[in-house]
Amino acid sequence: MVAPILTVNGISKHFGGLKAVENVDFQVFPGEILGILGPNGAGKTVLFNMISGVYRPTEGTIDFRGERIEGLPSHLVARKGIGRTFQIVKPFTSLTVLQNVLVAKGIMKYGHLSRIWGPWGSRKDINEAKEILERVGLIELADRKAGLLPLGNLRRLEIARALVVGHTMLLLDESFSGLRHEEIGRLEALIRDIRDSGRTIILIEHNMRVTMRLCSRIIVLDHGRKIAEGEPKDIQKNELVIEAYLGRKGVLDVP
Amino acid sequence: MNTFFEQLLNGIAMGSIYALVTLGLTLVYGVMRILHVAHAAVYTVGAYMGLFLYSSTGSLLLAFFGASIGCAILGVGIERFVYFPLMKYPPFVPLIGSIAVMLSIEEIMRLIAGPYILTFPAKLPFPDLSFSGIYVSSTIIAVYSITALILLVLWYISSRTELGLAMRAVSQDISISGAMGINSHLIVSITFVIGSAVAAIAGILVGIYYNQVYPTMGAVPAYKTLALIVVGGLGSVSGGVIASMILGVAETMLIGYANIPFPRDALAFIAMIGVLMWRSEGIMGSSR
Amino acid sequence: MLSSYAITIGTIIVIQAIAVCGLNVIVGFAGQISLGHAAFFGIGAYTSAILTVKAGLSFWTALPIVIAIGGLIGLMLGLPSIRVREDFLAITTIGINFIVEALFRYIPFFGGALGIGGIPRIMLFDIRMKGIPFFFLCLFFLCIVILICWWFTRSWASLAFYAIREEETAASAMGISPVRFKLLAFVMGTSMAALSGSLYAHYMQFINAGDFSFPVSVGFLSMLVLGGIGTIWGPVIGTVILGVLPELFRPLVDYRILFYTLLLLVMIRFQPGGLLGEKSLVKNILSRTFKRC
Repeated sequence: MVAPILTVNGISKHFGGLKAVENVDFQVFPGEILGILGPNGAGKTVLFNMISGVYRPTEGTIDFRGERIEGLPSHLVARKGIGRTFQIVKPFTSLTVLQNVLVAKGIMKYGHLSRIWGPWGSRKDINEAKEILERVGLIELADRKAGLLPLGNLRRLEIARALVVGHTMLLLDESFSGLRHEEIGRLEALIRDIRDSGRTIILIEHNMRVTMRLCSRIIVLDHGRKIAEGEPKDIQKNELVIEAYLGRKGVLDVP
Repeated sequence: MNTFFEQLLNGIAMGSIYALVTLGLTLVYGVMRILHVAHAAVYTVGAYMGLFLYSSTGSLLLAFFGASIGCAILGVGIERFVYFPLMKYPPFVPLIGSIAVMLSIEEIMRLIAGPYILTFPAKLPFPDLSFSGIYVSSTIIAVYSITALILLVLWYISSRTELGLAMRAVSQDISISGAMGINSHLIVSITFVIGSAVAAIAGILVGIYYNQVYPTMGAVPAYKTLALIVVGGLGSVSGGVIASMILGVAETMLIGYANIPFPRDALAFIAMIGVLMWRSEGIMGSSR
Repeated sequence: MLSSYAITIGTIIVIQAIAVCGLNVIVGFAGQISLGHAAFFGIGAYTSAILTVKAGLSFWTALPIVIAIGGLIGLMLGLPSIRVREDFLAITTIGINFIVEALFRYIPFFGGALGIGGIPRIMLFDIRMKGIPFFFLCLFFLCIVILICWWFTRSWASLAFYAIREEETAASAMGISPVRFKLLAFVMGTSMAALSGSLYAHYMQFINAGDFSFPVSVGFLSMLVLGGIGTIWGPVIGTVILGVLPELFRPLVDYRILFYTLLLLVMIRFQPGGLLGEKSLVKNILSRTFKRC
């Protein structure tokens, strides 16, 4: 049995009376793609926000490679090698695509205030950033202002930034939503490629088919609670899951 | 002991006037999320208009009404021509705009009315009272009763009318209430009408209370009331009123009665920083 | 031959430009509003005055201490300030200005209402700096400050600042600590203000709490807004314009301040980016003319 890379233990997040996430636990193993499914408002993004340090959990612990990271500020979680994307894309609009990646590149290198005074345009950094853009397929747009890109490219840009930071683990928040059919295929290939380069991935998805195809394991949330966990084929048959999706039987069929 | 009570009454009067100014600021912050520094300039204009109308007609009622209407127009003008077009920029842009409006109006008043201190010798329709040696002037009674009346009317509007409901909806979320069919720009303008009319009344009351009207009378309240809306919890009307009352009393008692050699105008800001340390959402604010 | 009057105006403009550059680091680079910059200008002036008058240090020995104290107080006041929401920050900085001014005015150690007088002139190579030499000394300091700002925009830190300004959550998900970077901007900005204040004190030789009151902060901000927030040369141009204009409009003495405030209003209303900012009229015209050439 391989040791888990991330262990989430009895985690809860309450906003006043609202229990956004309630007593959820799961483990993530190195090199896998874990899918988190659930209807709108099930608490998926809240869960991500707790792992990545945006929210402090009301209860519970998060263990990443033997270190407790719950309640740690976002930037420190990032420095441990967890990169993430956002469901509502957050590009730095007035910077170019290349500079967007360089921002992420810089902090991993110049994490300390004493070292941030060097120019950001060093040849080595730019080359490495360009390699990443090549990989996500944005290299032709490197000098375009990020604010001018269409959504599909912005999702790739977010993944590029997360790749720089997340040398160990990536959290992808609905990276497929709003994409056209042919873009979905390319993004799937990219995510497999990232997994094959040795990173662990957790992804939140609405698109069932993609999740079923990509993930080795899936957990399903509903009303903040974990209602199922298992391999895609088991999840597909799980009664509770089908019910959570309001009996929309068809959605779980994989062609 | 009598001076103690008289100072206490003075403090409450001062607090009432602060409350009337803070009220407008809170309402505007609620619907627009803008720090309306120029509100104090509206209040200065109100005092001058009231003084002008009173000295030319001799009717105090006309002075109050005329100044309220004039200031309401001025307030809506500021909103339409300065704030609304600047809403899309980061908050400090409308804030700087507001400071510029404030200083411009101050200068215009100085050029029109002169840099001198004018007196406001009003004859109030209230008696001077005296209870067992404690003297209560007619001005104080006027301040109390007018403040109480205004607070009552505003409470009625906000809690019992459709307008109040719409105003609360707009302060919750301006874009959603727009989608629900509320004409949010109209509501914003009405908020300015109400706030500015109340500011005019506050201006006249201050003019009568101190018997002074001068171009820079708004300068200190402009920033002090900002501290007050923070202490009260940004956007909370009742919090702002309570904070104003406390400050009015504290200022008068600590500096006027106890004679503590302390900068009176810094007190509001010290209180604000204390409150921010202790409870960053203010005394009546909701935590987010 | 330059009249001594013109030199006085020029010197004041250069000194103010240093402070406005500091404000630009806070407002323009880090995107944090500060309406209390005059407080730090004053802290620099008072620290230098006390160190030279009461402790008998020379300007040059006092200078590093002045800059360090300016930055340190900036750090102390910045720490609670940046944890509050943006609107609070504006009001908090106003409050800091009022409180600092009140401290100068009411504490006898700072000379109370009378202020501090008899501040010595700066000695350099055994020359007492005044007039034209002092002007060039200030210009030298301004050049250093501009150089630092310029270097800053080329450094990786400026990318981080962009990121924080535009999407704070995304920036911190990339390992950038917003708190630390904002504090860095505060410290840089306030120590520049302290340097400027120190030069001011040694130029005027007499300082008083009123020199550092809230309207001075508004003046600094106006200069910055006029010139262009977040640009390198904007602060300088804004300071020069707002410093020279009143002299040109001296005949209209009574309408001067009104003109000043209306100018600020028109600028912020129609060109919030300032004369040199993005989408600005002047910049468009300039770039069009240059293209034609």
